[in-house]
Amino acid sequence: MELHLGGHLNYYDAQHRNRLELHLQEPLSLNALLLQLNIPRCEVMLVVVNGELASQANPLLVNGDRLDLYSSVGGG
Amino acid sequence: MKYGSTEKLLRVNLTTGAVKIETLDDELYRLYPGGKALAAYLLIKQLPAHADPLGQDNRLVIANGLLTGAPFSTASRFTIAALSPLTGGYGESEAGGFWGPELKNAGFEAILVEGQSPHPVYLWVADGQAELRDARHLWGREPAAVQAAIREELRDDLIRVLQIGLGGENRIRYAAVTSDLRHFNGRNGMGAVFGSKNLKAIAVRGHGRYLDLAYDPRGLIELGRLLARQIKEHPLGWDLYDKGTPGILGGLNASGILPTRNFHAGVFEGVDDIKWEAYQSKILTARRSCYACAVRCKRAVEVTEGPYRVSETYGGPEYEAVAGFGSNCGISNLEAIALANELCNRFTLDTISTSATIAFAMECFEHGLLTPGQTGGLDLCFGNVDAMLRLIEKIATREGLGDLLAEGSARAARVIGGEAPFFTIEVKGQELSMHDPRGKVAVGIGFAVSEIGADHLVSFHDTLLQNPDSVSFKGATALGISKALPARELSPEKVRTFWIGENWSSFEKTVGLCYFGPAPRSFIQVNEVLQAMRLATGRELNVQDLLTIGERATNLARVLNVREGFTSAKDRLPERMFAPLEAGALKGVAISRSDFQEALQQLYLLKGWDPQTGIPTRQRLEALALGWCTDWIGAT
Repeated sequence: MELHLGGHLNYYDAQHRNRLELHLQEPLSLNALLLQLNIPRCEVMLVVVNGELASQANPLLVNGDRLDLYSSVGGG
Repeated sequence: MKYGSTEKLLRVNLTTGAVKIETLDDELYRLYPGGKALAAYLLIKQLPAHADPLGQDNRLVIANGLLTGAPFSTASRFTIAALSPLTGGYGESEAGGFWGPELKNAGFEAILVEGQSPHPVYLWVADGQAELRDARHLWGREPAAVQAAIREELRDDLIRVLQIGLGGENRIRYAAVTSDLRHFNGRNGMGAVFGSKNLKAIAVRGHGRYLDLAYDPRGLIELGRLLARQIKEHPLGWDLYDKGTPGILGGLNASGILPTRNFHAGVFEGVDDIKWEAYQSKILTARRSCYACAVRCKRAVEVTEGPYRVSETYGGPEYEAVAGFGSNCGISNLEAIALANELCNRFTLDTISTSATIAFAMECFEHGLLTPGQTGGLDLCFGNVDAMLRLIEKIATREGLGDLLAEGSARAARVIGGEAPFFTIEVKGQELSMHDPRGKVAVGIGFAVSEIGADHLVSFHDTLLQNPDSVSFKGATALGISKALPARELSPEKVRTFWIGENWSSFEKTVGLCYFGPAPRSFIQVNEVLQAMRLATGRELNVQDLLTIGERATNLARVLNVREGFTSAKDRLPERMFAPLEAGALKGVAISRSDFQEALQQLYLLKGWDPQTGIPTRQRLEALALGWCTDWIGAT
């Protein structure tokens, strides 16, 4: 699965990566994935799965998905 | 002694050549502790009513904040203010960099410029002294050459030069002022005021130290060290270091509010070519800083190959320039966008108003309101890179259509006629920055009521305060904000949040703090701002004291606008904001006109302004220690 961390979310990755390739052993919920990656759910404002805004708060993710996460955008 | 202040005002009369040093009264400085507040106070006291913004009666104020030059991150800002040639009202623009702290070190809080020189001059300020010098040999030359020439002439490579380029000399109504070639007081046409006065530059050099002015210099040093450490430990501070402002572009696009093709849509098909990841891989060369600031949000860029070559000399594009010359002009060539930014910086043109005026012209062209004959043969369709770049040069030199567009989109639309006024995206004559209020409505309230016309640094952006558990929201609670609200909610609670944010932002502009310093936008907590004020001045202040300082400054600017004939009718949004977005995540979303008007009424009441006229009431002005100006504006 391809993961893109937008805004300040790559702060929480130890290597501050914007893009990560992940292999999921089995389908995983977004919240479970965030927990694994140490990304606070409250900092994720926008969830885009395969190019579409996620309609659910906690979508189920599978291998092959492209996941774009964005933090709040503050302006300036 | 007024701790934190040099106490000195430099008054310069360009007509007579007189240079005079005056002492700022202690009580006055407590009420108006620099920056926006001091500039607005000096303007309203010194500027004759209904002066021509480009005439000799206009006044120009350059003012440091109380904290400008303090040795901690984000305390480098200074204000330039005058009657704006773009809006006809109170004009103001802030910038960071090194020039403000240098002026403080040279012994001055502010400079008040009067009159009009018969020939180009520059002002030389050094260690408590000042003189006017001939600048005829500098007129018409580019900023980099001018900076080098002044440093050579005065034999000091550490001189900081604040100056105008061709845009200011040609009185483009949205001309900027630049310092150190990479920092810009961009908005409201302050560069045109410099040009109208034949004032090419202000060079400063000082050997003083802020610490010698401070109540507790050791404490300030410790605070500076603490804040420098905190930046990298705070997600928002770290993000500004990592990506700078261009980092927000991808998120705005995904949210459906990236201004695209003159604000028709909120999503851009070429976003992958201009967002942060592309910026980082294609053009970024370095991260740069302002005075004593560890955030380092400034980008340096370079393009060494291909048709659009860019040097590091004039800095890299901020988010506003990337979106303005990119998505909003339908352009996805990042190198060309960087060149457009460089051209504006060389000519000292505001990148926001320049790009927005070009986007407006592109829409006029596509609707047949401008013909190839009028554009000088330019095919001014959205997406035409070379036409965009050529038009920037035409504007700076006032060539052909550029002469009309140099007047700003609102004036140009009146001349072009037809539907053109509906294609302008401006408030009070100033073009919107690249933020769509249809996705963050409090930003729209700020666009509407701001005394300087549309601007994005008036209050908080709604998107920061949506989740009560987020870092940004937690940072705002110390200001009295207790409820997280959706970005598009337009409720009395949102209006109250806006008002608190407006006062906070105005306070920042007054004392010389960057918008990217204090919470909620970035990493400095409210209690640390209070600590900085105490260490600088020795005075114990509370949060409400700081908000009142900001509110006083905003009201002063409002009073000046009322005196100039502004009414509540000018507190509006462009018509397009009441029409649905055509594409993106918010496709179909528009602002409700009635809800927006209701919100403005609520805001007026909250601010103690007459709900019909929008004029500050006598009671409110007196509560803000501004009773002295009530009679000037018919406050009741």
